[in-house]
Amino acid sequence: MARINNQIRRLRFDHGEMTQEELAHRAGCTRQTIIALEQGKYLPSIELAFKIARAFGVALEEVFQYEA
Amino acid sequence: MSFKTFTRIRIFLLIIMVGLTSWAIVSGNAWIPVPVIIAAVILMMLLRRRVKEVVADERVYSIAEKASLVAFRIFGIAAAIIGVTLVAIGWQSASDLYKIGLTLAYSACGLLVIYYIAYIYYNRKYSGKK
Repeated sequence: MARINNQIRRLRFDHGEMTQEELAHRAGCTRQTIIALEQGKYLPSIELAFKIARAFGVALEEVFQYEA
Repeated sequence: MSFKTFTRIRIFLLIIMVGLTSWAIVSGNAWIPVPVIIAAVILMMLLRRRVKEVVADERVYSIAEKASLVAFRIFGIAAAIIGVTLVAIGWQSASDLYKIGLTLAYSACGLLVIYYIAYIYYNRKYSGKK
C-alpha cells in the first residue's frame, strides 16, 4: 500500500522548537490538523502541503515523502 | 476573539436556544423559536467573523463531508424502508401511520433529489465542462 510520510515533527524542532500552534497559524490550518498530520492520521491537500513546506522554508519533498 | 471564547459563546447560545425552544413548545407558543433560531444563526455568523484563529480547515470539511455522506445514507435508507412499511400498514385505514409513512417516504425522495442536483452541480463544476 502506498504511504506518505512526513517530517513535520522533526522540522518543527529544527526550527527553534516551533509549536504546533505557530505552525498551524503559519500554514493557515488548525492545531488539530497539525496533530493529525504528525500522527499520520490525515493526508493533507496539495495546497496545505505546500503551505507547510513554505512555513518551514523548505521544498515539499523535504516535508513529505511518498513510499510506494 | 479567540476560538476558545467563541466556543464558549456558541455553547451558551445553544443552551439558551434549546431551553427557549423547549419552553415555547411546552407552553404552546410554537412561533417563538423561529425568530430565536434566526437571531442565533445570524449572531453566530457575526461572531465567527470576529475569530482571528482558523475555525475550520480542510480536515474539518473532509470530516464533515464523510459524516454528511454517512448521515445521508442512513437517513435515506431508514426513511425509505420505514416510510414504505408504515404506508403499507396504514394503507387501508388511512391512519396516522399512513401519514407518517408518507411524510417519511417523501422526505427520502426529497433528500435524494437534493443530493442528485448537488451531485450534478459539483460534478460539472469539478469536471472542466462548461
